[in-house]
Amino acid sequence: MADEIEDRRQDDERLRRLLIERLPRHAPPAHLRAAIVNAVERETPKRRWGWLWLSPAAAAAAMALIMVMWVAPSLQTTASSDPVRLLARALVSEHARTIFYGEPRADVVPAVLPRAMEESGVALSWVFTGDDAIRLVNAQATYLEGRRGIELAYRDADGHTVTYLVVPAGTLTLPERGRVQVDRWRPLIRTEGGFSFIIWKQRDLLCLLVSDLVSDGDLAKLKEYFVKVRSSTEPYAVY
Amino acid sequence: MVPRESRGTSPVTDEAFLQQALQHLDALHNLAVYLTRNGSEAEDLVQETYVRALRFSHRFEPGTHLRAWLFQILRNTFLTFYRLRERESAISEDGVAEGETPMFQDAPGDDSERSAIHMDLERAFTMLPEEFKTPLLLAEVEGLALEDVARIMDCPIGTVKSRIFRAKERLRGHLKDYGEDKA
Repeated sequence: MADEIEDRRQDDERLRRLLIERLPRHAPPAHLRAAIVNAVERETPKRRWGWLWLSPAAAAAAMALIMVMWVAPSLQTTASSDPVRLLARALVSEHARTIFYGEPRADVVPAVLPRAMEESGVALSWVFTGDDAIRLVNAQATYLEGRRGIELAYRDADGHTVTYLVVPAGTLTLPERGRVQVDRWRPLIRTEGGFSFIIWKQRDLLCLLVSDLVSDGDLAKLKEYFVKVRSSTEPYAVY
Repeated sequence: MVPRESRGTSPVTDEAFLQQALQHLDALHNLAVYLTRNGSEAEDLVQETYVRALRFSHRFEPGTHLRAWLFQILRNTFLTFYRLRERESAISEDGVAEGETPMFQDAPGDDSERSAIHMDLERAFTMLPEEFKTPLLLAEVEGLALEDVARIMDCPIGTVKSRIFRAKERLRGHLKDYGEDKA
C-alpha cells in the first residue's frame, strides 16, 4: 500500500515535470502588448464619462418609479384578452422590478450571464454588451406570463433602463397591426401607459424590449437600441 | 491615464496598474491559447481581459494576488463570450469540430522525436475539458496555490484537487499508447 502511494507520488511528479518541461508555451506575439495598451487607452475616457451620467441616471430612475406607480394600477384594470396586451402588462411589472430592485452591476455580467442562461433555458450565442450609448448592466432568469426566459437589463447614457426579455414564443402570433419597419426588421411597436414596447420573434423565441422612452425622440432612440440588440444578439432555446 | 482609487494605500495610476498587469501577459496568453485553441481568438481574449481588468481595477485589493485575479477575469470572459461561440462552431467535413487541432507551431523543431513528444503531450492536454485543463495548467505549470486556483475556478479546493487528479488520470490515458510505443 505504502509502495503504491509512493509510486503514485513519483508518477505525479514525473507528469508535473513533463508538463513544465515539455508542454509548449505559447508566447504572446510582439504586437499584442501594444494592442492592449491602445485598447486600454481607448477605454479610459469611457470610465470618466461613466461617472457623469450617475445623476441623470438617478433622476430617470426616480421618474420611471413615479410612472410605474401611477400607471401600473390602471394597466391591471384595463387589460383584456389581447395576448400582446397581457404580455405588455407583465412586461411593465418585470421592467418595474428591474428599476426598483435590479442593481446595475456591469462588472458581474460575465459571471451572472452563464448562470442566467442555464436557469432560463434560453442561451445566447452572441450578446450585445453595449457601446458608448448603452450598456448591459445585469442579467437574470425570469418568468413572463408563465414562460421561463432570460432578462437582460441595459442602462443608457441618459439613465434610462431598457429591459430586454427573451421567452419561448409558444403559439403566440404577433398581429400585423402595429408592425413598423425598423432597419431590416418589422417588429411590433406599442406605446402604452408611459412605456414603449418593441416585440418581435426570433427563431422560436419571443423577444421584448421595454422602456420609458415614449416621446418621438426617445422612441427613435429605443429603435436604435432595438437594432443594436437585434443585430448583435443570437438567442436560442436550449430545451 | 487617470489616478485609480486605492484602499488605504498610496494612489496607484492606471498606467502603473497596467504595467503591473502586463507582467503576466505571457502566462495569460498561454492559458488563452489552450482555452480557445485559436491564435487570433486568444489575442482577443487576452486584450478583452486587460480592458476589463483596467475597467474594474478599483475592485482589485492591493496586496492580493494580481496574477490570480487576472486569470479569473480571463476565464470568466472566456466562459461568457468565447465558449458560447465554440458550441456553435462549424463542423468540418470529416466530422471534427473546427479549432480542435492544437497549435503546434511553437513546439521546438530541432529534434523530430522531441518534437513528437511535444505534439503528443499538447494534443493530449488540449483534449482535456476546460474544467480539467485550467486547474491543471494553473496549479502544475503556472505554480498557483490551490486556494488561488479554487478562487479562479469559483469552486471549493476539494473540487480543484479532484479535477486535477482526474485531469492527470485522463492525461495518462491519452499518453499511454504513446509511452508504450516509445518504451
